[in-house]
Amino acid sequence: MAETARPLEIPAAEAQQTTPRKPIPWGKIVSYAILIVGLIQALLPFYWMLSSSVMSVTEVNFGYWFPSRFRFENYALAWEQANFGQFMWNSVRITGITLVGQMLVCIPAAYAFARMRFIGRNVLFGITVATLMIPHVATMVPNYLTVIWIGRLSQNLLGFGWLNNWPSLTIPFMASAFTIFLLRQFFAQIPEELWDAARIDGAGHLRFLRAVVVPLSKAPIMTTVTFSFIGSWNALLWPLLVTQTDDWRPVAVGLTKFINNEASSDLHLQMAAAVMMIIPILIMYFFTQKQFTEGIATSGLKG
Amino acid sequence: MPAGLLIFLFGLFPVAFAFFVSLHQWRRFPGEYRGLAHYTTALGELAYVVFFWVAVGALVYGGYILYRQFKQGANNLLALLPGAVNTGALLLFINWFVIVLPIILNIPQRIRGQERVQGIFIQELLASLRDPAALEANQWMWLGILAAVVVSIVWWRLSRRRDGGEALFRMTLAILFIACAILTFQLTASAIQAEVTAAQEAGGELAIWPQVIIISLGVVLIVAAFGLWQRSMKLDDSRRFMAQAAVALMIAAAGYILIAQVPPMLANADNEMLRGFNITVMFVIGTVPLQLGIGLGLAYLLFQNIKGKAFFRVAYFLPYIMPFVATSIVFNILFSHRPTSPINQLMTTLGLPLQKWLLEPTGIFRLIFGDGVPDWLVGPSLALIVIILYTAWTYVGYCTVVFLAGLGNIPNELYEAARIDGANGWDVFRRITLPLLSPTTFFLSLISIIGTFQAFTQIWIMRTPAAQSSVDTVGVYIFETVRNTDPNMGYASAMSIVLFIVILIFTLIQNRVAGSKVFYG
Repeated sequence: MAETARPLEIPAAEAQQTTPRKPIPWGKIVSYAILIVGLIQALLPFYWMLSSSVMSVTEVNFGYWFPSRFRFENYALAWEQANFGQFMWNSVRITGITLVGQMLVCIPAAYAFARMRFIGRNVLFGITVATLMIPHVATMVPNYLTVIWIGRLSQNLLGFGWLNNWPSLTIPFMASAFTIFLLRQFFAQIPEELWDAARIDGAGHLRFLRAVVVPLSKAPIMTTVTFSFIGSWNALLWPLLVTQTDDWRPVAVGLTKFINNEASSDLHLQMAAAVMMIIPILIMYFFTQKQFTEGIATSGLKG
Repeated sequence: MPAGLLIFLFGLFPVAFAFFVSLHQWRRFPGEYRGLAHYTTALGELAYVVFFWVAVGALVYGGYILYRQFKQGANNLLALLPGAVNTGALLLFINWFVIVLPIILNIPQRIRGQERVQGIFIQELLASLRDPAALEANQWMWLGILAAVVVSIVWWRLSRRRDGGEALFRMTLAILFIACAILTFQLTASAIQAEVTAAQEAGGELAIWPQVIIISLGVVLIVAAFGLWQRSMKLDDSRRFMAQAAVALMIAAAGYILIAQVPPMLANADNEMLRGFNITVMFVIGTVPLQLGIGLGLAYLLFQNIKGKAFFRVAYFLPYIMPFVATSIVFNILFSHRPTSPINQLMTTLGLPLQKWLLEPTGIFRLIFGDGVPDWLVGPSLALIVIILYTAWTYVGYCTVVFLAGLGNIPNELYEAARIDGANGWDVFRRITLPLLSPTTFFLSLISIIGTFQAFTQIWIMRTPAAQSSVDTVGVYIFETVRNTDPNMGYASAMSIVLFIVILIFTLIQNRVAGSKVFYG
């Protein structure tokens, strides 16, 4: 059945993208054409996702491109069936705790790395950055064991466990080497005179950090918040590992469960659920997209 | 600093911990010591070779640091002493830690069943610290630390150098590397020895040592050939030909040795894991060039004063930030096996036969060229191709944005000069843009390789029972081992370490190869 098949047909336009042409008069038009093809390949899946989320199952199965009627009840149905309210609430809680914790931990750490002098500062910072290069896969298993153990400890001491509870989902991510790195780069650029002025006014490090540094670096902080928000919202592997019941499962895990069990053949409901999962990210992205892409660009070059 | 603690706990410590776990039989709590057994289950006898080389690598690296120190100043010879004492203290600390760790880790098991009292955990913790073995190691540790502090301070005073702290640190690091190398070597040697003795008792012969040496010879040949190749570029024509002939000969010999010797050593390895590695490598090779190429093309076009640049950028970036779970589901349905799925509709329009896409475990080359293709040439399965396309789709936007920033950093004067010299668009691209963009390209390929090596989400979502065996990467396999109802943490850690080493080697090779080509303006 597959004698003459050519399953991977890279569209001609994509192949051309690597051979740019310039000074020819109609070069601009070609550029636009290629860019628009690129645009279509980037956005088409999203269009398809949206349109099929308001179709009936048969329409999705038959590969229609336009719904005959907008069935918004799909969303209500998916929300209901997937227990999405619970998962959304979990994700919001997890992301919120992670973000707050991360800011509390990382801002002082970045500040210390940037502006305080202590023995072994550069070595420590080097180690911190080096952890960025260690793949998650290598640390997943031992982290799991650590979390199990600390979980038992806090179960005995404080009365709540870590597994299947919020600490295992949030605390390991609070100290993000990436956030520390990004913020340190910015903090280091704050002029020394400000610190001198603050010291003359009798402010210590903490006060200076709160009153001067943080307000000055709203933009990079927003960038890191966006990064962490997206990372925390999209994470699948770790939550899959440390949650066993729906009490604390985030949306990513819930959606995976939903498409594998409850709605394995209800493609329209799968799409509706997927749309609901990306809405918060979309909102976040459109509010911060400028800082975000800029952050990627600069961090990308400096890293 | 809480940040330091957390990073240490969840970032750095795990690597050492993973290694420790991988040496043991381990379900949820530590079990008996098993040495390198997990590694031989995973890799067969090749594990010994790998460890041998890790030891050699650490030795060479430690030696290299020492060498650099000595070149910088003569009075560093004295620093050997505090360096050695510091290393000793560190090793004693590790020794104590390794003894105490299993005792502490077993606390939850020991107090299971006892009534839950607030203080009992602390009691057990203190009790385990007072374990006789731990106590002895503890004393040694304090002795070591005391000696290290005293010697370091004395040396610091005597040397009166401004960068004394740094020199001390480097010395300690170097000697630590060498010490680790020796320990690893000893571990490997004893494991091999045990195996050989066992085989002799069973009446057989086991030639691990010769095998280790032969394979090492092959690796050395390849490295030497690479070095010679680089050197040959600087020679004149006739000599260059000779050198390159030698390189070819060496590579042929090394290739023969490796091809002849490695497979029998892998005979006892875990086939599922090997397949996982095979798939992972195909996945990386398929994804990274694709996304870099498309990303570069789009970025280059976008850079040419295009109207609506910001809009394009935002749109291209969209797939990257979307949850992988959600977009994977979309691709699941786009590439579904139904004849009416969107992609199959496209195939029909193009007059091509319908495909099963994600349900298709057959290799791609076999699909194109018929059943005559031999087994080792079938290439990635169609299902894996879909996953590769998906992954490239998500990362293209990221590459575009980073490339755009890189393009923005190239000074405009260079373009103007080229234009005055009458260079056409392609020449400008090849001679100016690409070389000046090489740091960005290097960074991106590094990030992409590390990222794709550990890809998990999309594979987890897009795998189907029908094509499972052709898309499960090592990452997925490790996850399955951990999630198993009878989890084997030791084995999973061993595989994690192996994967880590592979990524490390890839990164190092890429560093070496690209390092000579990257141009920092």
